[in-house]
Order: sequence, then structure tokens, then C-alpha cells
Amino acid sequence: MSSLLSTWGSRLRLRFGLPTSSERQSPAVVAERPLRASARGTRTTVARAARSTREEVEVERLQRGIAELYDESSGVWEDIWGDHMHHGFYDSNAVVSLSDHRSAQIRMIEEALRFASLPAEDKLKTPRTIVDVGCGIGGSSRYLARKYGAQCQGITLSPVQVQMAQALAAEQGLADKVSFQVADALNQPFSDGQFDLVWSMESGEHMPDKMKFVSELARVAAPGARIIIVTWCHRDLAPSEESLRPKEKELLNKICNAFYLPDWCSSADYVDLLRSLSLEDIKAADWSEYVAPFWPAVIKTALTWKGLTSLLRSGWKTIKGALVMPLMIEGYKKDLIKFSIITCRKPEK
Amino acid sequence: MRLLTHNMLSSNIKGVTSGFPLRIEAEKVVEKQVELNAAFLKNMFAKIEWKPFVDASRAMGYAELPDEAEPLMLESDEFLQKFHHALLELHLEEGALVCPETGRRFPVNKGIPNMLLHEDEV
Repeated sequence: MSSLLSTWGSRLRLRFGLPTSSERQSPAVVAERPLRASARGTRTTVARAARSTREEVEVERLQRGIAELYDESSGVWEDIWGDHMHHGFYDSNAVVSLSDHRSAQIRMIEEALRFASLPAEDKLKTPRTIVDVGCGIGGSSRYLARKYGAQCQGITLSPVQVQMAQALAAEQGLADKVSFQVADALNQPFSDGQFDLVWSMESGEHMPDKMKFVSELARVAAPGARIIIVTWCHRDLAPSEESLRPKEKELLNKICNAFYLPDWCSSADYVDLLRSLSLEDIKAADWSEYVAPFWPAVIKTALTWKGLTSLLRSGWKTIKGALVMPLMIEGYKKDLIKFSIITCRKPEK
Repeated sequence: MRLLTHNMLSSNIKGVTSGFPLRIEAEKVVEKQVELNAAFLKNMFAKIEWKPFVDASRAMGYAELPDEAEPLMLESDEFLQKFHHALLELHLEEGALVCPETGRRFPVNKGIPNMLLHEDEV
């Protein structure tokens, strides 16, 4: 399957006059100043300054890439899959037909809420304010706002997604309950302690600084609020391991390039981060077996006439992302990629 | 952008100690009618910083809100109507939100605020 798609990819690149992988230039990097051969202290300072500027450029490139990817692809996704841009939750080993996926995506939201021990529709304890971090076109925001009668704020890097999210909210009579803005999850534009529920559904994998990401989730959470993170991780490392094996890193790198992902971490890493922020009732689980039908289904829809024509019309970033989908299946099969849920609670004052 | 949203937003530029509330520069304000939901409004009232909310509504061209408000006032239909209107029906379509400390403008276009910080503000 992947060789078929890579041939297809090369043909597409030639067809649209896009650079092939050998021609593609490496991203612009801030030129390092030549290190002066003076005292070691100076050399280290200069090297550190050059490195942090390079990091800034990298982060900015990543953010722009993410915004452009989703500006380009959200319409295609919505056309074929609807307004939830996340995995569905399926029974293990279920045989799933194409029509089951939407309810599976909704089930994913409900299962995540249940895992986090969120109270049922008891009016006294349900969340009144919610933040959807990495909100896509607002599927979760609208669902949660409707479920709890709550006010939901969504943030995303993609201006196109914000416009689509707002339009969908207006269409569904939720314009008074949900709001969206273009903002960075690593620097959320909210005052401290605003939200009773902090929701991150498959956006954590885009965050270049996991500590900053988690700190912001904790900062905007109100005392007693629940934080729910559903995200792609790599497998936990064994105590003897320093890092993933080279072949594993190679596979993840290919996926990272196409999906605009920074380095992956494990769910154990997330648990450590949450613990370091003194968050309580930390729970984590591996839900990989419950999402297995998802990528095969996405590939199947991409290969339909509607899927292919939509992809061709969308843009190079979307196509590149689509070509890499079989690698996600490979990653799951090799127990390298884990679909993880991590939840916790912010302490009461 | 509605005033409910504005009441939650703050400038988190590096070094800024009080980035709330953002000052509103209104170029285009649009009114969009929305059904009044008393229960929702009562829930939200507790979370609203009232003085910034009143100031913001004046910047949007609405001067009917009282300077101070207490939960008891939610029993009055007239107050509820004004609260609802200012909170949910006034939309900043074009303009900017300004950081109270640094003066940095966060643009609002087509009703969408862009709160992304530049690399040197982080």
C-alpha cells in the first residue's frame, strides 16, 4: 500500500511542478555566527544564542506549517468526515462500516469524559466554562457546550478553522455558547483559572514544548477543574532505554514531517509533567486497541473518487499528510505509536 | 468577538503583570440577536468581571449597563435583557484588543481575534 502511494506521490509532484524530495531545499536556518577562538565562556554563549534563535525559527516554522496544513485540509476533512477531527472509539476487533465512524467519534468524547470521572448531567457539578485547546473546526466545543449547557472557548492556530467553527456554531444555534479565536496553546490568551474543564483532543502531538503545553493547561484550569488530554504518544521507554530505537525514530520522523509534529513523547512523560505541577488524581491509559479501525477507514475514504479529487484540489500539505497515513498504521502495529488518554484534576484552593 | 469572550482574554506577553482587561478599539460593531437563556446568564454572571465588562460595552457603543451589579439584579427582566444584550449580542467584527501594559494591538478581523504572540513576546 505504501509503495503504491509513494509512486502516486512522485507522479503528483511531477504533475504539479512541485519539488521532488531530492530537489526540496532544507528550511532556512539562521546562519550561525563564526565562533570566536577566545575564552570558552564566550564560545558557549555565542553557541547558545545561535541555538535558541534557531529554535525560535523552528517553532515559528512549525506553527506556520500547522496553520497552513489545517487552513488547507479542514474543508476536505469536513466534507468527507464531518466536524470531528479526531479518532473514533470502537469495540476491540469490531468490524466497522463507514457509517459507524461518526458515532464512534462521539463515543470517543463520551469515553474520555467517563475516564476523567466527570459527573453525569447533574446540574450542580457540571462544567460551566470549557476550553477546547486545539479545537479544529469546533466539533468537541459544540458537543460539550450542548451537553453541559456550558460556555466553551476554542483556540487553534488556523484562521480558516476559526471561521468554519464559527459558521458551524451559528448554523447549529450555538453562537451564544461557543467562541473561537486564533491563539497558541503554549501561550493561551486567557487569565488564570478560567475553566472548569480543560479539553485537549488530539492536539498535544503538535506541541513543541510539552512542559509549556501542560503548564498552560494547568494555569487556565479553575481550582477543582478536570484536565483531559487525548493524544498520540510513542511507547513508554523501558527503564534501561535512553531513547527509542533508530528504526522507530526513523518512522516517527517521516510522520512528523508530513503532519507538522515536533518530537513525540510517551504517556509516562505526560504523567511525570502533570505530577511535577502538583496536579491530582492523575490517570493514564493506552486506548490503541480501541482506535484500530480509524486509519484504514481514513485511507479508504481518501481513495474514493470524492476523496482523491478533494485531495488534488486541496494542496500539497494535505496530500503529503494523506500519503503518510499508512505509516500511522505501521506505527500502531509495531506498538510504537500509542493512542493515549491522560487526565487529572487541579487541586481545590 | 462577543464581550463574554473579551472578559476572559488577557495579554500574556512576557513581562506583563496585569494583561487584563484588554482595551477595545472598535472599528466595526455588529449586533446579532440571540435567544435569551436566563439560566445560562445566571451561571455566567458569577464569572464576569463587572467593571471591565461595563467599560468594554461602552467601547462598543452601548451605555445601558449599570456601573455596579449584584446577583439580586438578575431577578429583574430589564437587567437580564441588558446583560444578555451586552454579553452576547454585541460583536466586534473589526478592530483590535490592546494590551493595557505594552500597548500591543491584537487585531480582530471578521470577528476573529488573533491572539498569537510574536517570538520576542514569549
